[in-house]
Amino acid sequence: MSLPILAQAALQRTAAPRRRFPWTAARRATQAAVAALYLGLPLANAGGLRALLGNMASLRLGPVDLTEPAAALSALLASRGAAPLGVLLLGVALPLLLAVALGPVFCSWACPFGLLSEALDGLRGRLAARSRRWPEGAAQRAGRVRWVALGGLLAGSLLLGLPLAAILQGPRAATGAAQEALYLGLASAAGAGLLGALLLADLLLPRRLFCRALCPAGAVLVPLRTPASLRVGFEADRCRCPAEAPCLHGCAWGVDPRGERRTDGCTLCGACVERCPTGALGLTFLRPAPPERGLEPRHPGGGSQAGPRLTPGSSAHAAGNHQK
Amino acid sequence: MEWADLLRRLSGPPALRPPGARPEAEFSALCLRCGRCVAACPYRALVPAGLGHRLGAGTPVVEARQAPCLLCLLCPPACPSGALAPVRQARDVRMGRARVVTGRCYAHQGVMCRTCVDECPLGEEALGQDDGLRPVVTERCVGCGICEARCPAQPSAILVAPAAGGA
Repeated sequence: MSLPILAQAALQRTAAPRRRFPWTAARRATQAAVAALYLGLPLANAGGLRALLGNMASLRLGPVDLTEPAAALSALLASRGAAPLGVLLLGVALPLLLAVALGPVFCSWACPFGLLSEALDGLRGRLAARSRRWPEGAAQRAGRVRWVALGGLLAGSLLLGLPLAAILQGPRAATGAAQEALYLGLASAAGAGLLGALLLADLLLPRRLFCRALCPAGAVLVPLRTPASLRVGFEADRCRCPAEAPCLHGCAWGVDPRGERRTDGCTLCGACVERCPTGALGLTFLRPAPPERGLEPRHPGGGSQAGPRLTPGSSAHAAGNHQK
Repeated sequence: MEWADLLRRLSGPPALRPPGARPEAEFSALCLRCGRCVAACPYRALVPAGLGHRLGAGTPVVEARQAPCLLCLLCPPACPSGALAPVRQARDVRMGRARVVTGRCYAHQGVMCRTCVDECPLGEEALGQDDGLRPVVTERCVGCGICEARCPAQPSAILVAPAAGGA
């Protein structure tokens, strides 16, 4: 019988001290590099660099156009279809493909506004010493607000003839401010003003609400995730935590990675994976294994029947099961 | 009319747009405020609009008196959204039209001055002189603002009115 042997091997792997990948450190390094790029770019352009132009609304990278999808969609609606569709589609192709493959990683790994918002959130947590616990269903509620906010901005774009989703988004405000400050001085740089206003709103609104629900740049990326996109895989068999688990509190989005649904807006930041003490969580492309037939649901203490199993993201019941 | 007024108030005062800019309503709908044209301009003639332009902030404008457009036409290809359409040659540009303020113009006061006429990149076909050697703007003027920038009068006696229709 090979099954018990496999299971024992799996258990030993679980028990051994696991070296976890430092997701947060890697993410901070990426965020910092991106922020530095956009901060220095206007100066480099003034010095003669032309191969790299723009901010996060649209960046020219040599021959490649990278256009932010929400801004492009908003402009398309605002111009009532007068936009050159081919040019816009070419521009958004790569960002869209990235979001389909990796989910909304843009928000947590690239966006400088996200970095500022995270810093502010950390500061607020330290100052107010408020509970960092997420209320039940926070991610689902944010998801509903996200649809309403995105719909409102797009409808407003159509109505006013202005690309509101390009104007009122975090990434452009954060990355456009440097150029405007260089040309106009910090005082009249609208990007800086808008950035300040958005950060103030971020401070006053519920925790990270702007990033989680109001920013159109993130909102258009969330529904692009497919079942095959990168996701947080959860092996229920290896989970030893109670309902109030460290992974849940590590999430800046209020998503429970043990019962995550695609619309919850997980940005693949890796914070939950890093906090998981047993290695039950991991970033993976793997599809969840089909439900095994003929085996009773196991409880965590006696995982002696089978090896680790990747369960679907929607296994809230699985997470609930093993608490008994 | 009220709707148009509201829109005008939201997007600030009319501005001199870069070469290739679509008609203003379409331009402000399409412009993503990405700053690519601004960064592409080698002469710092394009600047991002400031807070005074309200929701138009971040869109490119030309402040002709400070730095006129030299019609190098590097900006339209930098635009990712078609707010700036491609322009083949300088004479096809339609940014606006220069207008002489006769009360300030030296030539109109009887002083020998042909600075604007000499500086115009399109020459006599766009900015010529009448019998009294006073500057006359023709419909070939593209609105680059070089005349406005070089005019020795203080303030400038020749001003570019932004094209309402664009192109």
